[in-house]
Order: sequence, then structure tokens, then C-alpha cells
Amino acid sequence: MGALNLKIENEIAVLAFDLPGSRVNTLDAAVMGELSAAIDEVAAKKPKALVITSLKDGVFIAGADIKGFERIKNEAEAETLAREGQEIYNKLAALEMPTVAGINGACLGGGFELALACKYRLAGTGSKVKIGLPEVSLGILPGWGGTQRLPRLAGLSRALELILTARIISGKDALKYGIVDRLYPETLLAAGAVDFALEVLAGRLPAKKKKRSLLQAFLEDTPPGRALMFSQAAKKVLEKTKGFYPAPLKALEVIKATCGGEIAAGLELERKGLAALAVTEVSRNLVKVFFLNEKFKKFPWVDGSVKPLPVDKCAVAGAGIMGGGIAQLVSSRDIPARVKDINYEALKQALRTADGIYRYALKKRKMNKYQAAHKMGLISPTLTYSGFKNAGLVIEAVVEDLGIKQKVFQELEENTSQHTILASNTSSLTISAIGEKVRDKSRLAGMHFFNPVNRMPLVEVIKTEHTSPETLATVIAFARKLGKIVVVTKDSPGFLVNRILVPYLNEAALLVEEGMPIERIDAVAKAFGMPMGPIELIDEVGIDVGAKVAKILEKAYGDRMRVSGLLEATKHAGLLGKKKNKGFYIYGDGEKKVNPGIYGLVQAAVKREIPDETALKRMIYGMINEAGRCLEEKVVDDAQAVDIAMIMGTGFPPFRGGLWQYAEDTGLANIVIDLAALEKEFGAPRFSPCAYLSRR
Amino acid sequence: MERIAIVDGIRTPFAKAWTVFEDIPAQKLGALCVRELLERTGLAPGLVDEVIFGCVAQPMEASNIARVISLNSGIPERKRAYTVSRNCASGLESVTSAWEKIITGMDEIVIAGGTESMSNIPFFFGKEITKTLTRLGKAKTAWEKLRLIAAVRPAQLKPVLGLVEGLTDPVCGLNMGSTAEVLAKELGITRQEQDDFALRSHQRAVAARAKLKEEIVPVITGRKFDAVLEDDNGPRENLTPEALAKMKPYFDRAAGTVTVGNSCQVTDGACCMLVMKEEKAKAMGYEPLGYIRSYAYEGLDPSRMGLGPAYAIPAALKKAGLALKDIGVTEINEAFAAQVLASVRMLASKKFAEENLGLSAAVGELDPDKLNVNGSGISVGHPVGATGSRLILTVLKEMKRRGLQYGLASLCVGGGQGGAVVLER
Repeated sequence: MGALNLKIENEIAVLAFDLPGSRVNTLDAAVMGELSAAIDEVAAKKPKALVITSLKDGVFIAGADIKGFERIKNEAEAETLAREGQEIYNKLAALEMPTVAGINGACLGGGFELALACKYRLAGTGSKVKIGLPEVSLGILPGWGGTQRLPRLAGLSRALELILTARIISGKDALKYGIVDRLYPETLLAAGAVDFALEVLAGRLPAKKKKRSLLQAFLEDTPPGRALMFSQAAKKVLEKTKGFYPAPLKALEVIKATCGGEIAAGLELERKGLAALAVTEVSRNLVKVFFLNEKFKKFPWVDGSVKPLPVDKCAVAGAGIMGGGIAQLVSSRDIPARVKDINYEALKQALRTADGIYRYALKKRKMNKYQAAHKMGLISPTLTYSGFKNAGLVIEAVVEDLGIKQKVFQELEENTSQHTILASNTSSLTISAIGEKVRDKSRLAGMHFFNPVNRMPLVEVIKTEHTSPETLATVIAFARKLGKIVVVTKDSPGFLVNRILVPYLNEAALLVEEGMPIERIDAVAKAFGMPMGPIELIDEVGIDVGAKVAKILEKAYGDRMRVSGLLEATKHAGLLGKKKNKGFYIYGDGEKKVNPGIYGLVQAAVKREIPDETALKRMIYGMINEAGRCLEEKVVDDAQAVDIAMIMGTGFPPFRGGLWQYAEDTGLANIVIDLAALEKEFGAPRFSPCAYLSRR
Repeated sequence: MERIAIVDGIRTPFAKAWTVFEDIPAQKLGALCVRELLERTGLAPGLVDEVIFGCVAQPMEASNIARVISLNSGIPERKRAYTVSRNCASGLESVTSAWEKIITGMDEIVIAGGTESMSNIPFFFGKEITKTLTRLGKAKTAWEKLRLIAAVRPAQLKPVLGLVEGLTDPVCGLNMGSTAEVLAKELGITRQEQDDFALRSHQRAVAARAKLKEEIVPVITGRKFDAVLEDDNGPRENLTPEALAKMKPYFDRAAGTVTVGNSCQVTDGACCMLVMKEEKAKAMGYEPLGYIRSYAYEGLDPSRMGLGPAYAIPAALKKAGLALKDIGVTEINEAFAAQVLASVRMLASKKFAEENLGLSAAVGELDPDKLNVNGSGISVGHPVGATGSRLILTVLKEMKRRGLQYGLASLCVGGGQGGAVVLER
């Protein structure tokens, strides 16, 4: 059975998408073939109108089949794929009768381009309607007419915004932007689409009025206006991509060169643009990351027969910024969060943190004031353990101190029911050590969130040898309910992310000791694609917090993780980072400058001029070396877990495909050689390539 | 009959209106209380059948405020909620309504309470200007609009104060304070008596701070969550008789004795409690705070509404089969010092009992040392919709501390009613 179902009734053709065996509709070669044939049939039978719908719940067409796209070997193949799609959509656009797309859900990429090739578009009113062209986030551009038909429909400035930022919009917004013609509730959409077609045929459709401001008309219709708009758009793109992502620029270039021209010429340039992007390493990596994401969203860490327990209430022990962030996240899913700390200051901080996030969501219109008030009200602060007894899960987020955490866990065991799962949000201590004095260790696990909790998509779930499958399943299911990507790690100090990240940060501090200017170190890392420099990151995390974690890892892993003396010295000098407006940088009035006092604190015996490339290798290869050790020790079993964790947990550049992907692309053998050279050059055994790397 | 238990209760601190709670709407105060009650009792929200709340000035944006409170405190959507008003006894009515619902088998587990944010009672446009504005919205031509606007008189722009309207009796037309003046004058209650009573109320509330903490959930407040209110902020530490004496009569400037100082405060606050059958509570492993033995509401002359307790208390005692002397501790709302003093006097009056209650003897003496032992409306404050619940909670906690068997909570009610509940442990 095919994915398409064409029915002509009362001279109205209805083409329904329903890909067998799949929850969503996607467009692979077979479906496109069917579509082409269906359009030919419609053209031949000449019904009065064509309505295109989907039979999937909440999905119109989710886009082109990315797996097929991944198989493309060269530019020519990519261009052919684009051209074939364009031709089918051209046929659709050329049909003489009214054509109506009924968008009942996700309508993305090639799916949206199909809708754009129809004369009219209707959409559902529900939240599942998601319309957009997210191609640039996969490193390509809309290649089935999107760069041509969207500007014609929605105007140049709106089209640029949607295509260059991959923004996904609701049906309501689409109506506002003139992209869809009318909204229907989902339940009435299919019938409504037919009625709409009849209205069109009866000539009862009111003419569309284009409401444009004078400024918009100037920007879109006059040559100087357009020039200004394109240069502004280019500037914005560069600001956001920092030049690492060629796709938005290419899309911009295509639109700029083709706007106002013939559509056939425009389509040619569009497919050439797509072809050029499709074979870039950036696009390849972004597609890999897309699949990584898909994989880890549902990765079966626990046997499917183990059912997670429901968590109707989550308690958070330890308020403050992390506790507040976790409580906010929990409440945002309409789950009550009981937050406990030992003083009001911490509780205030937690409420402030949560409230700040809700205020921001209000400002961004992600929710209304009623929803925000409701969710905020689910967070209840307390100085006692009251309310912990019937919590399904407790997440401990007190200060990173083994003694204190052990004590808190003992208290937790006394103040919770035997069914309550106890998870620690520790970043570096082991769960086994923290829970040493807990009698029932089967309900212990780690749940390591990253700061800021609401924004960082990763949670490291830590499984000890005692963690029961049920505990693990519950913690994983809960983290996913909170919208997080889960990576399960072994219970060793620093787990995965911090164990890999700390050597990188430490290396940056060592580079400062050796006389490399702070801003240059950060610039080198950012030129590699890191979202912020390592020194900036240390300031962001807080030097006290960072040094504490580093110290814990030094204790666990010995010499190769020896904490830079500079970190300690900076901490002792009271330069704690951004939160105190003074760390490696001095912060004031929205700008920051290097704190010159840092250089005098600790200086290496030998100072030397370190080239940027060497500095980068020391930092990045240091991470790769540690990642190798993690794989060797089976902290995680799968190198892909390293990739997803570093991207989602630290912002490691997605266009590089992940840390281990980058290592593979560079060649593990080359890295081993370079590491050995670094070991020799700097007389530093920490660079000695680990066995896992050397063996490959 | 099976006994109905009050398992536990909690309240916010009571805050003088337009102070720390002025930006917190009544529904939020209520939800905060219910959430905390659920936490402290460890009750699964899904087990609550119904939430019943009293509120006198329901916010426009939260009609059926009980439902808003129920949902915002995390109680599932499938559960029921309704709001009651018996004016100043609304917080008492919610608890006795719970009793009725449970006794009749309609509900098994109820959270009953009261909430009021007197800071948030709005100012209104007057009737005339409201009409003009409505018509303006419907006017089609500019000329018509102009004519409507031209007809507006400056006096029409004066706002109507919701709080003042709410505290004015809609039948006899007297302000609540004026009804207290009526009692003071009729019974010859002196300014000195009233001021002494007010001073004692403050002294008792100040002395009881530590005790009252047991029933209070501290609230973190402020736009930036930079303050925390742990206690009622109404009681004054250093109130002097001189300061009270200096105040001018507020309701009758010429010959009155009722001042702001010997009247209750205008207050924001909420209180709620968990109510279920004794048997149910015990089966769930709770040790109830106490039980409702009986209750009664009585009607009386609206212009003498302060005497409500003098009518309701004997009625409730009769149902309980008890005498006033059996009661270990009593709370009366203290709308006005004159109101409590008048009620106490009438309870002790044979004449009153004969003429109004059809009794041959006085109801009894209410020992001042057993009355409002922790202060009340004058010092702690009187968020009208919440007070009824607060009285029950405070009485039960005091009974527990003192090991008493019986207690009494009673209020005078604007519009001419009285309410009383006999509690037992």
C-alpha cells in the first residue's frame, strides 16, 4: 500500500497522506513518485478542485526524508534530488483548479514547500500545527521551491526571517503573516478544506488585502531598501552563526540573487545552492547530530519491561540557583515542587530564579500570566522536610561537599517513604560516596543538570552498582518528561561531561600561567566554535565552584588532573567570577575586560610564546584524551554518547558533529602523534595518549 | 452521629492591608495555604473531593475563587470546588459547609478555608460614568460620542471605594463601625473600656507570637522575593494607652467612642484546614487537631450586627448540649472592641436571654482570661473572608496546648447575623 490516497468525490479531489507503518508523514523517493503520479492523475481527470490533507494525528508532512538525504554522495546527486522535487511541485503549482493544503500539524521543510506550491493553505488552530523551513539547521537550504515561493507569499522580510533562522510558527502566526488563508479547528479541518475549495469555486472568497507598512514597502520594493534589508540580514546571520554555518548565508545569497526574477531561474539557483551545501562537512555533521538527538531522545537505557514509577510530586533539597532552576523546570510541567533549604536566603534565591524564568517566558509570550502564576504557585518553599514523605522523587542540590551531601542523604532517607527515589544533582562526587550511609541503596541515582537548568538540554543520569532498574527507569522517564536528553553514565568522579570538560578548563588556566593572554585563549576556543571561551566559562561557572570540582577530580584521577595553581590563587584572591563582577575578567555596564591582576597571581617557571594552534590542541586534544579514557573505562559504552553529551551539556559546536566525531574526522592516529609531541614539548605526562586512543 | 475531624490547618501570616501582601491576590494567598496544607499533611491532592473557600470580596478575575485556589494549588481538575459567602463568617461557613457535605456523604475529604485580600478590593467607576462608557463603546457616529462625552459631569468621575461599599450595610445603610457605635451608646460602653480591650488584644498577640507561629506558614514576598513574613504584622509591640486615647472617633466624630485603634484592622490573609470524618482520619493515620461538636448561625437586627455572638453562641451550645462554663477557650472575631464587650455583656444578661433567646436564665459569664487569649481582629487583623477559619484553627491549637476539651469560635456578621462553632478534642 502506498502513502497517498487520492479520491475524487463530487468532482473534488482529496489527496490524503498516510505513510504506512509510521507515526509521521515524510517525503522519501517512493512517496515523491506517488505524489507525482497523483498530480498527473488530477491533471488528467480535471476535478474542480484539489485538497491535500494528512491522516496522521498532529502531522501534516514533517519534511523530506533525512535518511535519504544522508545517502547523497556528491553535488550532482543533491542537485538531481532537488530538481526532481522542484519539478513535482511545479506540476502541482501549475494545476489550473484551486489547490488547498489542509495543515493539521507539523508542516516542515519539504512538507511546507508542498503546501507553498498549493494556491491556498488552511491550518488547524491547535498547538501541534508547526509551520516552517528548518533546513538551515541541517546545514542546507529549502530546495523544493521554498526560497522562491515563500518570499512571493509572505513578503521578502518575513521570508528571510523564517528561512534564515529556521523559525517554526503556529497556525495563528501563519495566518497573521499571510501564509495561511484561514484557520479551522483540527476536527473540522478536512471538511473545512473542501468547503473552502467550494467557496473559491463559487467566487465567494474575499480578495486578500496585503497590509504592509510604508517601511516594509520601502524595504521590500525599492532597490536601496532591499540592499539595506539584505545587508542587515547578513549581519544578523553572522552575529548568530559567527561564520561557522554556511547555510543561512547561502540561502540569503540565493534569495538576494533571485528575488523579483523568474521562478524557473530562481529554482535553478536554489537547487545549485542546496547542492553546494549538501556535501559540506558542516551539513553532514548537523545531520548526524539530528540523528544523535533522535536516538538519545528515546534510547532504551533500561529494559522496556521495567516500568518507571509515577512522580506526582518532586522535592528538591537545596535551593539556590540550581535548586530553583530544577524546581522551575518541574513546575513548568505542572508537577508540584517542594523546595527545602536551611535558610530563607536560599529559598528566596530559588523563588527568584524560578520567577525570573517565568517572567522571561511571559515577556517572550511563551505562556500567559495565568499559566505562569499557576506554575509558579506549584513551587512551595520550606525549611523543614515536611512534604517530602509523599514525593516520588527527591533531587538533592545542596553545596558540592561530600560531608554535607552525606548528611543530607541520611536525613532524606529518614524523611521520605521507602518508595521515594533519591537523586543527587552532584557534578563531580560519586553517588556511591554520597549515599554511603543510606541503607537502601537501590533507590539512589544521580541526576546531573547543567546550569542554566531550563536552557541546557542534557541530564547525566548516574547509575551505581546498586541502582535498581526501576529507579533508573523512573529517573530517566522523569528527566525526559522535563524535556531533557538523557545520557546514562557510570558512577565515577565527574561522570562524563565534567570529567572531559575540567581538563579543558584547567588547560586554559595553565596557558594563562604560561603567559598566554586571556582574551587570546578565549578567542582560539571560540574560533574553533565553542560558544564561549574556557576562561569566560570559568568566570560564568564561578571560580569557587569550578575549583571545587577540579579539586575533586584531581583527588580522583591524580596528576593528570592537577588543578592549575592559578585557579586556586584566583579563588583565594576572592576573584570569584561573573557573579561577583570580578574574576578573570572585570564586568561592568554590559561589557567586560580582562582583569590584569590575574597575570601576576601565579606564573609558570618557563614562559613561552604559544602559537594558537598549539593552544587549541592542548585544550581540545586534552578533552579527547580524557574522552578516550571514559570510553575505555566504560563510563559510557558508546562514543556517540560522548558526542551528544558534550554538545548538549557544554555547547560543543554541533557543526563539528561532537567531540568524538571531531576526533574521528581529524584522525585518531594524528591526535595520538600530536599528543605525544605535546607531552614531549611541554614535559607534561598529562598529554600522554591514553591506551584507548593509541590502540586505534 | 459520626464526628467530623479537623485534621490540621495552616494560615498565612495576617498582614495589614497595603503592606507586604498588597501585590498578592486573594486566590494566590489561598492557593499558597492549600499547597502548604497538602505538603504538611502529606495528603495526595487526588484524594481531595472538594475545596470550599469563603471570600467576601471575590476578585473580579477570580470568580468562584475556591476553584481557582483548588487548581492553582495542584489539586486535579476532576475535583470540585465552590465558594461561600456569609460575609464576615465566610471562613466559618466554609468549614461548616464541609461538615454538611461530609455528614450527608456528598464528600469524604474536604479542604475548607477562607481568603481575603483587602488590599486588592478595587475602586469602581460610578454608575453614571459606567453607563456613559458602555454607551460610548456602542456609539456609531462621532457626533453621538461627542454628545455622550459632553454630558459627563466631573462629580461622576469620583471613584466608588469597593472597601467602603462592602463595609456598609445594604439594608440599614450603616457602616459597620456605626453599628458598633449603636451598641456602645445603647449599652453605655465607654471609650476607656474599649481602649483597654484593644490594648490587651495587642499585648496578648505580641506575647503569643511564638505560639501563633505553629499555625503560620511564612511567606516569601516582594517582586524580587527579598522579604519573608513569618508573623502577623498587625500586633504592635509598644502600643500605649496614651496612643490609643489620642485617636479621634472615626464613625461618629461628634459623640462617638469607636476609633481606628479599638476597631479591627483591614488585613490580607488566608487560612485553610483539612476536614474529614474521624474514622477516615484515623484510618489514614492522622491524629486530628480536633472535632466539630456543633455550630449555629442566627439572624438579628442589622444595625446591631455586633451582637451576633450573643445569639449564635447559645444556639450552638444548645446543640452541643453544653453550657458556657464548659468551654475552656473562646475566640470572637473582634470586629470592634465594643462589639465583643457588648456580646459578653449580653451573654451575661438575664434580660437579654429572656427577651431574645426565650431562656429563663443568662447564657453565662465569659471569663476575659479565656477569651481571645492570643489577641484577635484588633491586633492580629481581620481579613473578613479568612477570619472564621482562623478562629477555628487558633482555638484548636490553643485547646491542644492547654489540654482542653471544649472550645468556641464565634463571629459577628455584617448584615445582621452571628455564627458560632463548638469544638472539641
